[in-house]
Amino acid sequence: MSLLQFDGIHKRFGGVAALGGVSGTLAEGEILGLVGPNGSGKSTLINILSGFAEPNEGRISFAGVDVTDTEAHHRFEAGIARTYQIPRPFSSMTARNNVAVPLIFGKTKLHPTAATDRAIHWLDFTGLASYADQSVSELNLHQLKYLELARALASEPRVLFLDEVLAGLNPTEIEESILMIRRIHDLGISLVIVEHVLRVVNALSTRIMALNQGLVIAEGAPADVMKDPEVVKAYLGSRWKHA
Amino acid sequence: MTSPTAVRLAGFTVVALALWFLPTLQGPLDFPIFYLLFGYTLLFWFAQASSWNMFTGYSGYFSFGQGAFFGVGVYTTGVLAAKRGWPLIAAIPVAGILAAVLGLSLGFVVFRLRRLQGEIFALVTLAVAFVVAAIARVSSTIDGGSGIALNDVRLPDFLGTFPSMMFRLGLIIAVLTVFAAATIQRSRLGWGLFSINDDEAVAESLGVPTFRHKMMAFGMSAFFAGLSGAVHAIQISYITIEDVFSIRIPLFVIVMSVLGGMRHWMGPIVGATIIHTLTDRLNRAGDLDLFGGSLTVSLDHLNDIIIGLLLIVMVLAVKDGLWPRLVKRKWAAAGAFLFGLLVARIWAPEMSPIGQFVAGELGAVVVLLPPVAVIDRWRNRRESSKTPDEPTGRPTVGATP
Amino acid sequence: MTLYGQAIISGVLVGGLYAMMSLGVSLSWGVLKIINLAYFSFILLAGYGSYELAANHGWDPFLTVLAVVPVVVIVGALLQLFFEKVKIGEFESLLVTFGLLIMLESVARSIWTADFRRIPSTANPYASSSLRIGAFAFPTPQLSAFLTAIVIGLLMKYLLDRTYFGKAVRALAQDRDMARAFGVDHRRVAVLLSGLAAATAAIAGVFIAMSQALFPGLAVEWFGIVFPVVILGGLGSTLGALGAGVVIGVVAAIASVTWGPSYAPLATFVILIATLLFRPEGLFTRKASV
Repeated sequence: MSLLQFDGIHKRFGGVAALGGVSGTLAEGEILGLVGPNGSGKSTLINILSGFAEPNEGRISFAGVDVTDTEAHHRFEAGIARTYQIPRPFSSMTARNNVAVPLIFGKTKLHPTAATDRAIHWLDFTGLASYADQSVSELNLHQLKYLELARALASEPRVLFLDEVLAGLNPTEIEESILMIRRIHDLGISLVIVEHVLRVVNALSTRIMALNQGLVIAEGAPADVMKDPEVVKAYLGSRWKHA
Repeated sequence: MTSPTAVRLAGFTVVALALWFLPTLQGPLDFPIFYLLFGYTLLFWFAQASSWNMFTGYSGYFSFGQGAFFGVGVYTTGVLAAKRGWPLIAAIPVAGILAAVLGLSLGFVVFRLRRLQGEIFALVTLAVAFVVAAIARVSSTIDGGSGIALNDVRLPDFLGTFPSMMFRLGLIIAVLTVFAAATIQRSRLGWGLFSINDDEAVAESLGVPTFRHKMMAFGMSAFFAGLSGAVHAIQISYITIEDVFSIRIPLFVIVMSVLGGMRHWMGPIVGATIIHTLTDRLNRAGDLDLFGGSLTVSLDHLNDIIIGLLLIVMVLAVKDGLWPRLVKRKWAAAGAFLFGLLVARIWAPEMSPIGQFVAGELGAVVVLLPPVAVIDRWRNRRESSKTPDEPTGRPTVGATP
Repeated sequence: MTLYGQAIISGVLVGGLYAMMSLGVSLSWGVLKIINLAYFSFILLAGYGSYELAANHGWDPFLTVLAVVPVVVIVGALLQLFFEKVKIGEFESLLVTFGLLIMLESVARSIWTADFRRIPSTANPYASSSLRIGAFAFPTPQLSAFLTAIVIGLLMKYLLDRTYFGKAVRALAQDRDMARAFGVDHRRVAVLLSGLAAATAAIAGVFIAMSQALFPGLAVEWFGIVFPVVILGGLGSTLGALGAGVVIGVVAAIASVTWGPSYAPLATFVILIATLLFRPEGLFTRKASV
């Protein structure tokens, strides 16, 4: 059963086509890996699917309902969440209050006092409980990424887009993050992972979609996609100069 | 179980009632009537600064349009009450509604545009304020350039004599406005606004209905500004475009809120108190002769120089305003206040109570501004240039969900 | 018809003056990412300075430029140095210079009072002189201001296109950090640029003193001219400022002649609002640079 479906997504910035007609699905329980070199359109696609940007053409449906024209905050309430490549916490708030915001406004719609209490649950899940009442300016990159996760999870989403969660982390932190991603998946959340660290995408994903220059060039089981000659060329393409 | 809202409501009601009877105590306690009018003006600034801050301070969208909403309020009284004979009491709510309609219409256009950055919003509101003033000037139904005299307006005589009436009207509006600001701060709307302030796109993606929240806050801000303006028209008594739409109101509400602190409803109160008492004293102090008399600075102008300077210093050195510091250093501040008060009493016993209050304020402010504010900034900047990834601890992975 | 013709001519001429008044804010905002309201006070104080020298010390109004411009340039450069030192943010700069504007307006009010100050015609023969072509008059102060604006525009174009300084300015405007990485000395460029901008503001002030009466409230009144010109012309664009200056000048003149002088600011502010909402990058810029 396809939880998320997108058809013919086109996005143009000025004269440049960031996405030239991308289609795909996400089945419930899947971990879809989204790969491609820089500029292939991965982030743009995530932005569009999560409601951050509008496509010039194309439709998106979530759990059978067309959400193409739904505003981002409604999509979040419905169960689509995302994290950011570079963490964007609410800088004037504590970790606890950061997590309280989606608890107040997301699916759970808690009252502010109840939300600040419940926030501990998700901080605990991501191991940040002891930092609950500190300002986020005191957290390091790894912790901020976990805070992003806690915020996204707070609304009990059905789909979570992880945009380069591992960027900037050292090997130990990467290993921990992989475990965290599995635990999130164990909660029953379907994931779309955008990642540059190919071996991680390989290991985690149930299926991979490869993009290049705004188009899907390969899709399928991780092992197959990674060996696909188009995908290899896309990544190493600059080595082969055409006449 | 007493909810915070109930406590707040009770607290405000008590304060409001107590102050309501202040005018009736004027006779028995025999304090000069001047204090009622001074009190009215202070309440006026509470309302203006709080109404401005409930949108700009909380959301971070800097509005230079306070003048427009205030002006709409003033001229509603002018047109309905003075020109058309409406009783003042009827004109006041209409003024609030008209101002709110202006705010909501502006918001509807402006908040829909996603790429609208902060500075552009500020410019748009500034421009709208000028346009409203220009429209009022050219339209003879409104002003037409000749101004409006408000001597014959039907005033509510059940509120007592003129000073009592003004005081009480100002009180009701100030209480409503400040209560609204305090309630918003703690409510879902407040949470939404503060998250918009930090990062609007992220807020939206975490479920905050950013457009709706901005509209609500902007509309309310305009409403209260309009209400307050409608009453203030009587105080001004002869309203002209130049006077009503001057840069003064927007400037003062900005400085008051920046000074007091923009993230808390007490900020504008603290800021308005300090600035109003200070400017009041300066206005009465006369002239200052500099350079042996060749340059006379009327302390009226010193007013503006101080206000400008305060704005600069506060923006650069004390970004969060005085209220957060007051909360942290309340005993030091209280002590300094009393010290200043005593010094004034002893040194200049003929000084009026307000003057002594100002002396106390200055004492408290000195304590609240860290003495080496600029050096603190340097120190902070040097520290923050260290690598941001210094680990302060690891998240404990594997904690049971 | 001649009425409109004259209005258009006056509008075009005064557009040059408007461009000079706005260049400071435009360059500062577009290149240095600082919204500097102090330029309004620079224009005002330059005007008052010119008035002092011409009315009370017998200087020829044109020659007051020699005294007034250096002073304003130094003040402008020092202010920019201060901004560099405290690493001021874009929004902070708006508030801080707002405070400065209030302070300086107050100083002007203390020294010259709120009365209108006009250089007497005995000291200022130019105010009433004009070049006549057919039925149309080209008043001397406005004509000179227009020609000066053209010269400044050409100079700036030369500077921007042909010199290292110009390249540095354009680099900074596009991407500050990259420019720095490539060795552009931000501080030096910023100070030089603000000096240039202050100079044009001062020159504008001199021409204003030559053509009308001064009063302290003028600084805030000029919001209705400078902001529309800055936004319409595109942040950081000298030629854009010139073009926008002329557009705004003509619009204001036509509005004034058709409906009355009070309608001029109404028209220009409406244009500002429309531009901000629908084309914030300005009429003359191609990409969205705001």
